[in-house]
Amino acid sequence: MISLAQRKQHAWPDGARCVVGLTLDFDGTSLERGRGQLPLGARSHGRYSAKCGIPRFVDMFTRQNVPWTFYVSGYDAEESPDLVRDISRSGIEIGSHGYFHEGVDPGGAEPELLERTHRLLKEITGTAPRGWRSPSGHKTARTLRKLRELGYVYDSSDKDFDLPYLARYDGEERSDYVCLPNNTSSLDDFPFYRVSYTPPSEVLTHWEQEFDAIYAEGGYYNLTFHPRVGYGSGSPARVAAVEGLINYAKRHEGVRFVGMLELAEWCLKRPSDWRRDWSGQ
Amino acid sequence: MSKPTVPVIVTVNLQGKTVELTQLGEDALFGRASYGKYAYAVGCERLFGLLDRHGIRSTVFVPGAEAEANPGYVTALAGRGHEIAAHGWAMEEMDAVGVDERVLLERTHAALSRIVGRAPRGFRAPHGRLTERTLGHLADLGYHYDSSFQDDDHPYRLDADGGRDMVEVPHAEILIDATLYGQRQTHDRVMKMWREEIEAMHRERCLITLTLHPRSDYGSGRASRVAALDGLFTWMRKLEGISFFTCEEVADQWHP
Repeated sequence: MISLAQRKQHAWPDGARCVVGLTLDFDGTSLERGRGQLPLGARSHGRYSAKCGIPRFVDMFTRQNVPWTFYVSGYDAEESPDLVRDISRSGIEIGSHGYFHEGVDPGGAEPELLERTHRLLKEITGTAPRGWRSPSGHKTARTLRKLRELGYVYDSSDKDFDLPYLARYDGEERSDYVCLPNNTSSLDDFPFYRVSYTPPSEVLTHWEQEFDAIYAEGGYYNLTFHPRVGYGSGSPARVAAVEGLINYAKRHEGVRFVGMLELAEWCLKRPSDWRRDWSGQ
Repeated sequence: MSKPTVPVIVTVNLQGKTVELTQLGEDALFGRASYGKYAYAVGCERLFGLLDRHGIRSTVFVPGAEAEANPGYVTALAGRGHEIAAHGWAMEEMDAVGVDERVLLERTHAALSRIVGRAPRGFRAPHGRLTERTLGHLADLGYHYDSSFQDDDHPYRLDADGGRDMVEVPHAEILIDATLYGQRQTHDRVMKMWREEIEAMHRERCLITLTLHPRSDYGSGRASRVAALDGLFTWMRKLEGISFFTCEEVADQWHP
């Protein structure tokens, strides 16, 4: 049973003290298209992802020589198949991220949308995605049922824990599916660049403080970035803030950068290590 | 006492998944609807662990439904010296159409009394929303104080507002973590804001009421935020004449 009080009971790959998962959600024009908007003029932020933000992130991650994970919506993959294929061929995991980056729970239409995106990403990259991140954070037991049917082994969408844990839905804990939590209030660029409009230098300090607290516990640090302008980190100053954070983490002993599927597979090798106490929840 | 003390109260609104359950079913409490589950899984122990390390006994406002779901935890908090007070049934808006506030107040009162073994003496309205009858109901049920208002630097009597023989122990919008973390401010900005406000309140010897939540979205439950609070409490404890109390203690001092 994993517990935050008994930290000795969770172990990371290579005996690392702390794992860092850097994730990039494509967030191209799928958002606007999904809302029936034209991605033009002041609604063109999503076009920045493929043109400027993603290349800048790829250059930076390559320079830093760290793994990262790329979550892509079906629509964005159809728009930029070569970009997605090239990134996949470079060894980066492509996870799925909705079709139109659905902003609200698509209800009964969800299974078909999950399947469509799954098929598209498989066709483009030659590999079936095994990880998912919810677009906008909506996820229900219905989502989990479908993802598991499609062969997914993890998703990175929940905000209710600080460590990986075995999924539980329909009253049952699963030993073949792990939740790798993220946090879109504190470990994401959106809240600071769109909600509080905080300068990148202060955002970097904030993420460093998050890292300090998680590193002190020997924990799991999952950061979510977007290559868009506007709410994302695609612009030069903001990619520089992400790079500053990577440099900061690298200065600490025992930090291991991980791809999310790599981490999920590590956890699922010994699922009983990642059971969580559900009492009162 | 030669110099008057400056009273500080740390209050915690124990809001877990009842927040999300007002909108969604249990089957949908994943993803962005899972922040509430963080409270009992992680946030509470981080937050109360910190308060215990600082020797601060807080006042914990608990929705009745949260207490029903986690009776052992709420009882243990009382055993650690924290005051358990009422926070509505399940994050209802008491002034909304169709809400029978009397029934919900009674249900919460009975649940907390049974679980804690002592009747709660204080109340804070979920969302800070009351009707003109709420304080009267609370007085009928024997409550001694309310802590929902944000309109004074000191406690005051509630008789004129319908709270017969009751005291208001006010808090302050800017000293509620949700006000700032809800707007996604960084830790440094929150702490800077609080230090400036607290420093000036201390100078004028105001009641300083801090309101925290054990959640990972608008609350202080994350390890990083607990670390920021650790620094804040360490700094506050060095301010001359500062003394930590529970709401109940302040209400009793004000109006025995």
